[in-house]
Amino acid sequence: MLKLENLSATVGEDDEAKTIIDGLSLGVPAGEVHAIMGPNGAGKSTLSYVLTGRDGYEVTGGDATLDGDDLLDMDPEDRAAKGLFLSFQYPVEIPGVPVMTFVRTAMNAQRKLRGEEEISAPDFIKKSREIGKQLNLTSEMLKRPLNVGFSGGEKKRLEIFQMMMLEPRFAILDETDSGLDIDALRTVADGVNALRSPERGMLVITHYQRLLDHIKPDKLHVLANGKVIKTGGPELALRLEEEGYDGVLGEAA
Amino acid sequence: MALSIDALKDKFKNPDAAELELIARYAMLPENPQRERAFDAFAETGLPHRRMEAWKWTDFRAALKQVEASRHDAEGAPLPTLDHPVIEFTPNGVTLPGVLPYGIKLHQREDAQALGGAEDVPLGAMTAALAGRVGGLDTLIIEVNEPTDTPLHIVTRGDKDETNFARVALIVRPGASIDLIESHLGGTGFSSFLIEIGMQDGGSVRRTILQRGGQDEAQAITAIVTLGEKSEYTQTALAFGAKVARLETRLTHQESGSLATLNGAYLAAKGYHIDFTSHVRHGAPSSVTRQVTKGAVLDGGKGVFQGKFFVPRTVGQHTDADMQHQALLLEDGAEVFAKPELEIYADDVECAHGNTSGALDPNQLFYMRQRGIPEAQARALLTEAFVAEALEEASESVREALREITQDWLLQVR
Repeated sequence: MLKLENLSATVGEDDEAKTIIDGLSLGVPAGEVHAIMGPNGAGKSTLSYVLTGRDGYEVTGGDATLDGDDLLDMDPEDRAAKGLFLSFQYPVEIPGVPVMTFVRTAMNAQRKLRGEEEISAPDFIKKSREIGKQLNLTSEMLKRPLNVGFSGGEKKRLEIFQMMMLEPRFAILDETDSGLDIDALRTVADGVNALRSPERGMLVITHYQRLLDHIKPDKLHVLANGKVIKTGGPELALRLEEEGYDGVLGEAA
Repeated sequence: MALSIDALKDKFKNPDAAELELIARYAMLPENPQRERAFDAFAETGLPHRRMEAWKWTDFRAALKQVEASRHDAEGAPLPTLDHPVIEFTPNGVTLPGVLPYGIKLHQREDAQALGGAEDVPLGAMTAALAGRVGGLDTLIIEVNEPTDTPLHIVTRGDKDETNFARVALIVRPGASIDLIESHLGGTGFSSFLIEIGMQDGGSVRRTILQRGGQDEAQAITAIVTLGEKSEYTQTALAFGAKVARLETRLTHQESGSLATLNGAYLAAKGYHIDFTSHVRHGAPSSVTRQVTKGAVLDGGKGVFQGKFFVPRTVGQHTDADMQHQALLLEDGAEVFAKPELEIYADDVECAHGNTSGALDPNQLFYMRQRGIPEAQARALLTEAFVAEALEEASESVREALREITQDWLLQVR
């Protein structure tokens, strides 16, 4: 489903450009959840921005495809319409645009780009109520401007709310666990797990192992210096927890 | 002809073609001492120009070389009037509503009325000198005697005409209130609207203004507002500018405990110039002013904000006043000029101001695009949300219409 082959990318402009992703390859088949772990500066967040097409991140080599389509040629909105979703590490405040208005605008924009009909107002409201309830988001909260005045944990729940509403083909979760207390972590993980399906893939980027207790990945990739240096099953996360990155990285090198 | 044009010309320093035309028009009107005083006040400066401090960014003299017919019809439709009463000023005359809400009376004055503070508002003085028509209306007085909730509309517009000058006096009796909605739509080479609002104790005015004009037009909307004790004045303006356009509000808290809200939003496309100028005098203790002005400007558009709070030492104690101006430069080449001023002599006051201008936040744009919202739509949505705060206090009957007009503009220009 998602295939990255020998991907390289720089951050910054011209002389300042710095290679952060350096020959990275991995594949996530449909129906699987993979995790990426790695020390600070390994390129985890950069990877999420490169895949979603943020300005300032330039691909210098390799390929990234989703269902065989070249992602790197597309505008960010077209990647989203294709089904690529990023749960941001630092969700952005959008003053003056209520959550509900924002999500409905996004949903209909994606549908339009895909040549589909808009969602009806009653269907949208029904769906948002159901999902809001699962994530402990009240209808009052969903009327407030997106992310404005919300706590860190609430913002992360709003990311998952958007993901569940938009039902992407492929989701990247960038440090979704940061800023969450243990109850919120469980709520978020329940939301993510509810979306696991044979047609959908996910890439969970995290710094700590604890999220993976709740979202059990099929595979785990260890990222260092912009490339995958080790791939394993869930047991690899436990080893990382015990031996630290130095231990595992030392062995790989 | 009662007046000698040569004598009138001498009152001006080197009148240009446009001023000569205005002098000739004045000379057609019957002699009247109030009209003459207004004319003399106008003659002091002539058409305001960039060498006058208060007009350094908005030069009517340069924009108005001649008084010429506009090439355009009025811009768009007035704010939705539904079945509410409408007063319409066109170059051909005024149309008054057949039925007025209980509590509102209209008086048509053929004589010019005195204009206090004329020397501070050159285009107000010009309007007071020229609003009259031979054998017809000069000043329309709207008297509000009761609390009213049916909106009253004023529309000014022309159709490829030269000028449209109109003058209104709004008198709000103690405890009375009015919801006044104005649509100034241009369609004339030069249009100027002057309104004096006198609010007596406990009076309340909600004034909502839409301004649009053509790229070859000059437009002025001047208000002189006086607030009585515990009165409440709420002004909201949405303006798109013209070749040159200015919305000027001079407001005085005359008695204590009054509240003024002065909000505005401007959207300037290429070739449009829009100026919001205000002067608020806290001439009585314990009065409150809240001012929020938001602007969004495209390449080749120009926005001007000049706001002043003046708080005298003897009478301005316990003033509470806040002025915010925020502008979005949507493209390279957009221009915004801002001059927020606080002039405070009283020592026990709370006064604040803020002034920012910048571009849309790339983080917000990327976030929205990642969710599937195309860039142009994301920019429009962010801009709409940005100016929306300044329109929140508009009359409820047209708030949605203001939002739609904003959206339509954003869709057109993207």
